[in-house]
Amino acid sequence: MTGHSHSTEEQLRDALDALAAEVRPTPGAYRRARADWRRRERKRRLILAILIAVVFGTANAVGLWALNHSDGNTHVIFSDTPVRQDPLGRIGQP
Amino acid sequence: MEYVAGMPPIGLAVTKDLERERAIAALFDEHHLPLVRLAALLGADDAEDIVAEAFYQLYRRWRRLRSADAAAAYLRSVVCNLTRMRIRHLQVVRRHLEHGLPPIEHAASVEVEAVLRDDQRALVKAINDLPSRQREALVLRYWLDLRERDIASAMGISAGAVKAHLSRGMASLTSKMEERT
Repeated sequence: MTGHSHSTEEQLRDALDALAAEVRPTPGAYRRARADWRRRERKRRLILAILIAVVFGTANAVGLWALNHSDGNTHVIFSDTPVRQDPLGRIGQP
Repeated sequence: MEYVAGMPPIGLAVTKDLERERAIAALFDEHHLPLVRLAALLGADDAEDIVAEAFYQLYRRWRRLRSADAAAAYLRSVVCNLTRMRIRHLQVVRRHLEHGLPPIEHAASVEVEAVLRDDQRALVKAINDLPSRQREALVLRYWLDLRERDIASAMGISAGAVKAHLSRGMASLTSKMEERT
């Protein structure tokens, strides 16, 4: 088995080498590949920029809409209504 | 030089882009042909497209690469994955097509096998019939002469699994070659 396996290994190496030697790339592969990378990279950046603009614009629009619909007389942070104090200053009922 | 807080200066970014282009051009010169051959040996019908895609992945992730030396291993791993995905895709397409169409041939087996000897042709046919993982392991071991650890990293599996694939693949090839003689 080991002898056969060894001979198969040698045959396999030879066959793979012979097969690989016949594979040749077409000329100008780098130029074509680089043009394709650049085109895809530009497209990716454009889509990303559009996505960011859409998210930013939507967030702004929602914020403006919410502000526009809120009551101008209601103050969220400061209220002019005085807090009623307990005249006896007691903490609670016994 | 214009400078925006939190971002590299524009001049520096342009220099880095140029460096990346130069480094990738050098890698392309060195590794393109072996990678196309690897993809063809793994059974890809569009080996050049797969290698171009692998270089695009490298182009995109260049800044995240540990070192320039890691690029070759990364490219090899991407080519293996993309070829496996491509073959799987072709198998799925094939399953959904009507019967009676000619079987999908491996690109290398159609045009290139004519120059092989009879025994080599039989061996190549036997390799083509192996499961894709076994075929990958055998090609990486016996054509690229990679160590088990490197094969494991290229295939994204453990070294033990690589050993199992190699042993099963080799046993299957040996028995087929013995049947033939």
